[in-house]
Amino acid sequence: MRNLIIGILLATIALAFSAYAAYSRPQISLSIDDIHSPVFSAKGIHVSLVDQQWSQLAFHLDEIVVQGKTWRNVSLSCRKFQLADDLMGCTNGTLRLPDFKPLPVVFHFSTKEKFLEISVKPTVDESWQFSMRWDENIWHSTLAIANGQVTRIAHWLPDAETMPVPAKGKLNGRARLNGNTDGITDIDVALRVDALVFSDSSGLHAGENVGIAINLRAIHIPRNDQWQWQSEINWLHGEVFWQPLYFIGSGHRLNLTGTLSEKNIFLHKGSIDLINIGDLNFSGVLARQGHAIIDFDLEASNLELSALFDQVLSPFLGNTAFAEMAVTGKGDFAWRYRNGASESLRVDLYDAGVIDKRERFAFHRINARIPWQIENTTIANISFLNGEILRIPLGEVRASMEINDLNLSIPQLVVPVLDGKLKLANFSALQQENGWYWRFSGELLPISMGKLTEALQVQQMHGTLSGVIPEVSYNKATVDIKGALLFNIFDGKIIANNLKLIEPLGLAPHLTTDLVMRNLDLDMLTRTFSFGNMQGRVDMDMNNLELSNWRPIKFDASLYSSPGSYPKRISQAAIQNISALGGAGAAAAIQRSFMRFFEEFSYSRIGWQCVLRDNVCHMGGIEPDSQESESQAYTMIKGGGIPAITVMGYNRNVNWQEMINRLKRITEGNSPIIQ
Amino acid sequence: MSNPIFRLILLMMFFLVPHVSFAAADIEADTPTITNLKQSMQQRHSQLEAFYTSGAVGFTQDGLIAMHDANAVPLAARQLVNSLIAAENQDRIALYREIARANNHPEWEGEIRSTFSQRWIKLAKSGWWYQESNGSWAQK
Repeated sequence: MRNLIIGILLATIALAFSAYAAYSRPQISLSIDDIHSPVFSAKGIHVSLVDQQWSQLAFHLDEIVVQGKTWRNVSLSCRKFQLADDLMGCTNGTLRLPDFKPLPVVFHFSTKEKFLEISVKPTVDESWQFSMRWDENIWHSTLAIANGQVTRIAHWLPDAETMPVPAKGKLNGRARLNGNTDGITDIDVALRVDALVFSDSSGLHAGENVGIAINLRAIHIPRNDQWQWQSEINWLHGEVFWQPLYFIGSGHRLNLTGTLSEKNIFLHKGSIDLINIGDLNFSGVLARQGHAIIDFDLEASNLELSALFDQVLSPFLGNTAFAEMAVTGKGDFAWRYRNGASESLRVDLYDAGVIDKRERFAFHRINARIPWQIENTTIANISFLNGEILRIPLGEVRASMEINDLNLSIPQLVVPVLDGKLKLANFSALQQENGWYWRFSGELLPISMGKLTEALQVQQMHGTLSGVIPEVSYNKATVDIKGALLFNIFDGKIIANNLKLIEPLGLAPHLTTDLVMRNLDLDMLTRTFSFGNMQGRVDMDMNNLELSNWRPIKFDASLYSSPGSYPKRISQAAIQNISALGGAGAAAAIQRSFMRFFEEFSYSRIGWQCVLRDNVCHMGGIEPDSQESESQAYTMIKGGGIPAITVMGYNRNVNWQEMINRLKRITEGNSPIIQ
Repeated sequence: MSNPIFRLILLMMFFLVPHVSFAAADIEADTPTITNLKQSMQQRHSQLEAFYTSGAVGFTQDGLIAMHDANAVPLAARQLVNSLIAAENQDRIALYREIARANNHPEWEGEIRSTFSQRWIKLAKSGWWYQESNGSWAQK
């Protein structure tokens, strides 16, 4: 700045000297090859005074560079130029800058009074007034702006090619800079921007109708060559999209206090007041080169989690299962970061709730205190009142979790599931290169099948579900259950072995298992599904069962009569329904014969096989395929006793979905297949 | 291998033609998950189509979609477009994985994704934007 002033003074003195020396001539001119200062540099400077009274000034710059920006062919002309002993003034000047309309300019400059005043009034309402006064040791300057168009300073902003560029907006306020022979000593800025529109070329960082009030004060401390500064930024109105965040509204405030050294920015105290979310307080140290965070502390209390999640967190979770959640409740956060690494984190939740919008999970009234410290073991306490996973209701849970770096463990945990319980033991989780891995052993205490089927919105069934689970593990999005789940159902047992859940909370969930069913009571089974009445007992092996989105797409099923002695009866309605699944021949045969007079029949064996692949069920009957391969027909029910009936199947390959639709029609009791 | 590939092509016809008009077809590789994803993508397509047309959203070379020109969307709607893109991409990734699984070849996921990518672009309407193999954007 000092060099600039000296440059101006020298030029002025030279100009004045040349002018007086050539008093007798109607025109004088001055040329300077170039001027350099820390603020600007200029080349090809031409000044000329014309007219007898030297009342007209023409000033031209071939090139001027300010803050790395270059302008060419900048000129200033003045029709009413005054040049006295110590005063130079222009009351009717015109400044011409490339890409701008000519700007009316008034300026006064006095070497005696030591002041410079420049006033630019592009329009009636808009003015930019710069004034500067100085003496031997200090100087004061002020820029006052009234309705200034921000587009006029767009070229002055740093990194205009990569940063958002203002396209519209008005500036009001003033900026004061004071200094001495060593440079600037203090800065005081009070500006207000209204109706600001800005955007980068991609549109990913943009704002519309933005109003901001900025107050900035900074004082230079010569003792340690640092700046003490503080700023207040109030967002008055407007909307901003800063990929991926979007904010609209008013009243958000940012207050910062700190110091600035040659290498670092020290943020002693900062606070953001986000309307509808809460206050965040922070401090830290940033490196000026590379803008890396060295230290940082963040504390926030009583934040509204709903708005925090929707406005701040959710946009960053776009490609995860947690993106589509509704979150409620309040929370506290504390984060300590030192020398480029996190040292501690604490999350407290108060009566929080999370609900997945795709209905995969929900947890209500979550209260938690989760502390984490690097290289230390901490204990987290987490509880929720109730919740559900894949529509299965969960009761109140209270857990103490040990946290050691990124290893989590819970020695014992009881999760109420409907009217039963899942007892977990030795739960441990750790983060690996390819994601989280966790495991536990457990026991499932009996759950009512009635309640479970109701929760899953499937056919109501009775009985219980229980199991001892030596190990449940999760790795690479797959839950692997070693052990067996036992369904006590239909007075028999169903045992699920080799159970795997692939992406259970993903968009393409798969389940694979092998089912062993033993001694199921056909009377209870057929009554449950309104299938017509059957008496007897059956076993079934369903191996390689695979569900996609909880519907079967593959299995090898084999159903047959259980060994032992028990009544074996089948109603005519049940025969008709079975026939309808495998081909209508048998039912039609009954209707054509005297057997239609009997309501019930006896049988000796039941057998049915289905290999489901590619949506087609390849069916077989009692006898192995090799013995029935000569014929398309196969025996599904072999008669025995009086009156006996044998039911044959005729279609070996049936579209699975078609069969399910038929079953659905039958069990819903609508439109019987055969009258 | 030819049979699964044939099914894949059929399946793609099933998926891609519907963006002009989703028609019913009996595809063996169809699974309940694919049906679910298809419905989800169908519903979302009605929202996305305007953004494809305006140039805001385009097809990427890896079988997904991405913001091409945010300036084509009102400021307040840009986050909605982000959400639509994220949800669509989740569905697409799940779809490619599910098709590979349905064909009993999970390792085909990358190949399926690549094939789909080319087909999405081929079937895009005139004026829609897509990413070329070098990553640059082009208008169809």
